[in-house]
Amino acid sequence: MAVSFGIVGLLGTRLKKLEYGGWIAVGFAAAAMIVGLLVAAAEMLSPGSYTDQSFTWLHLPGSPGTFPNGFSLVMGSLVDPISALMLLVVTVVGFLVMLYSIGYMHHDHGLPRYYAELSLFLAAMTGLVIADNLLEFFLFWELVGVCSYFLIGFYYEKPSAASAAKEAFLVTRIGDVLFLLGIFLYFTVYATAGGGAGWAASGFKFVSGSTPFLAGAMGGNTPLLTVAGLMMLAGAAGKSAQFPLHAWLPDAMEGPTTVSALIHAATMVAAGVYLLVIASLFLGFTPDDRLAIVAVGGFTTFFAATMAVVHPDIKRVIAYSTISQLGYMVLGVGAGFAMVGMYHLFTHAFFKALLFLAAGSVIHAVGTQDLFKMGGLRKPMRVTAIAFAVGALSLSGIPPFAGFFSKDDVLSSVYTAAQSNPAYWPFLILAYATVFLTAYYIFRAWFLAFSGDKSRDPTLPAAHEGPWTMQVPLYVLSALAIVAGVLPFTPSFGSLFSLGGATSVPPTYGTTDLVLSSVSVGLGLGGILLARALWGNGRVYVLAPDSALQPMRTILLERYYIKAGYDWVGLRIVYGGSRVADFFERYVIDGTIHGFERLGTKLSNGLREGQTGLVSDYASYVVAGVIGLLILLLFVAPLIIASLGGP
Amino acid sequence: MTDLSVASFLFLSGALLAIGLFGILTRRNFILLLIAVEIAMNAAILNFVYFAAFAGTSQGLSGQAIAVVLVGLAATEIAVGLAIVLALNRQRGSINVGEATTLKL
Repeated sequence: MAVSFGIVGLLGTRLKKLEYGGWIAVGFAAAAMIVGLLVAAAEMLSPGSYTDQSFTWLHLPGSPGTFPNGFSLVMGSLVDPISALMLLVVTVVGFLVMLYSIGYMHHDHGLPRYYAELSLFLAAMTGLVIADNLLEFFLFWELVGVCSYFLIGFYYEKPSAASAAKEAFLVTRIGDVLFLLGIFLYFTVYATAGGGAGWAASGFKFVSGSTPFLAGAMGGNTPLLTVAGLMMLAGAAGKSAQFPLHAWLPDAMEGPTTVSALIHAATMVAAGVYLLVIASLFLGFTPDDRLAIVAVGGFTTFFAATMAVVHPDIKRVIAYSTISQLGYMVLGVGAGFAMVGMYHLFTHAFFKALLFLAAGSVIHAVGTQDLFKMGGLRKPMRVTAIAFAVGALSLSGIPPFAGFFSKDDVLSSVYTAAQSNPAYWPFLILAYATVFLTAYYIFRAWFLAFSGDKSRDPTLPAAHEGPWTMQVPLYVLSALAIVAGVLPFTPSFGSLFSLGGATSVPPTYGTTDLVLSSVSVGLGLGGILLARALWGNGRVYVLAPDSALQPMRTILLERYYIKAGYDWVGLRIVYGGSRVADFFERYVIDGTIHGFERLGTKLSNGLREGQTGLVSDYASYVVAGVIGLLILLLFVAPLIIASLGGP
Repeated sequence: MTDLSVASFLFLSGALLAIGLFGILTRRNFILLLIAVEIAMNAAILNFVYFAAFAGTSQGLSGQAIAVVLVGLAATEIAVGLAIVLALNRQRGSINVGEATTLKL
């Protein structure tokens, strides 16, 4: 099953590249979705089963001391509960976005490129999900990265899009390199130690037959493992746009909205979280690692949410929200409940894709992303308004929408972890504060775009709903954004969240703790009410120019000057370093080479003087040469032979 | 023949070679140059003849044969050389080798 899926996914891309229309891409995406659903269903029917199909790609002989059996690099596909779950998310959202693209991208140029890249992305993403070993995972990880780069730069004529693509590529690259180093480190540690030796020798595979290599079996809690875990965190932070590698994601909004929905909200950025989940299950994090993960997640959650509060661009508000929600997932993993992170990933994929697609509808209709130009869109765009509201409610964690359950699980898992380690408390508080901010910023966006009587910028075209291809995904995703939170409560679906008994099924947390839940719901509602008071009914809340909050707003709009800091580092340090290198290259290396060249020229010029063209001169050289040889032969050679003790 | 020592014959050859070389190095007239080359070459041919004579009739035949071949070779060389002289004269109006220096870099 999984193998056939891989073939469909991979070959599909090639076929699609030959074709023009997006319908072929949609067809393949639909096929992928059906396979994804079937895989998930099969997994649910036999809970906790592992299907692994792989072949050895290359085998390195080992040394007798440390590696008696050598090392095999395998390629294969693995269907286990989490990959089935992730497959479900990727293919469903992938199909819906692909369908939506038909309507949304209708007027754009370069459609074959778009569909080919999007298909390649889907194939790579599914490959990543079903990869059965860490190195294969890394390969696909790079592939989705490069697809992201392509698609962010889809409007490559725009300098901002091109530079955003480059930025995304470079920033995630930092994480990728560290991730690779982390793999090496794990290899080094596990190659020699206990239960992990089998894991390392079998080519980083996640399973051995039908038994997962779980972190417990590998054991060990060494400083080296902590560092390796931090490398994993860095890799995940690059991909999932966690602080301090977060800056690329808002800029990635230069790509088409569909791309933002699929890659930069639902799937690729979630790959970082998926990596953390996998790493925590199969490789194991030390307590220090976990604290670092919680710190990164908690801080990013809050930090990104604050930036979303003031931004005027509808897509960037949602992008910051994505960073913030990814922070929640990281929090869940860091708190020691990897499946809670997966749970939030699962619900978030649906409601965030919904938000992006709804925002896409708005952008498609009015042709601007500036919230302050929109307004009154509720009437002409009823479906979109409702869909956006559903997504926003889910994001804000209002029951019974999906976001409520998963976000609550994250919060309560951090709460549980904080019981044993007080260092987690500040991040729990940050996470709660973010609940309030989240509700506020997303409803600020909703009120700005949809409430009121008419748009604030009279030059905007009259809004209209998109074609059916754009509406159907909104319906489906709205439904999912409502029910996705409850799905894991059903025993069969819930089995996707359990992995070899290593983690608890999420619904045992959160919902039982009424106090924690009501606090978060209360904060969410408070945020919504504040947004309504400030921005409701088409009002625009203008901050007084002399307000004490003004400098703060500037800082937030400037993204805490982190981007500027990056630029500074890039310009001064990297560019300066390059200048030094350039100087070295130019004057020291080239200077040496040119010196030799000039020496050669001088010598040749000297020799050239001898080339008179006169036959008699040449003849005299010959004669001189012969005489010289004779002298050598008759007088010098006997001396040398005599000195060597010869005859 | 037997009165004369090998050294005196070799001295004659050496003198001829020196005269030829001197001519090659100093003459600018192409024809004189060719004559000088001939003189130097004859020194070599003479050497073959002497040693063939000293070696006796049975072993010396090959030396005499080579001497005859070399005479033929000298004749062809002169023929080619004179052809070059003619061509040079036709092109430049002069057979001074000091002026024919355009084949250098």
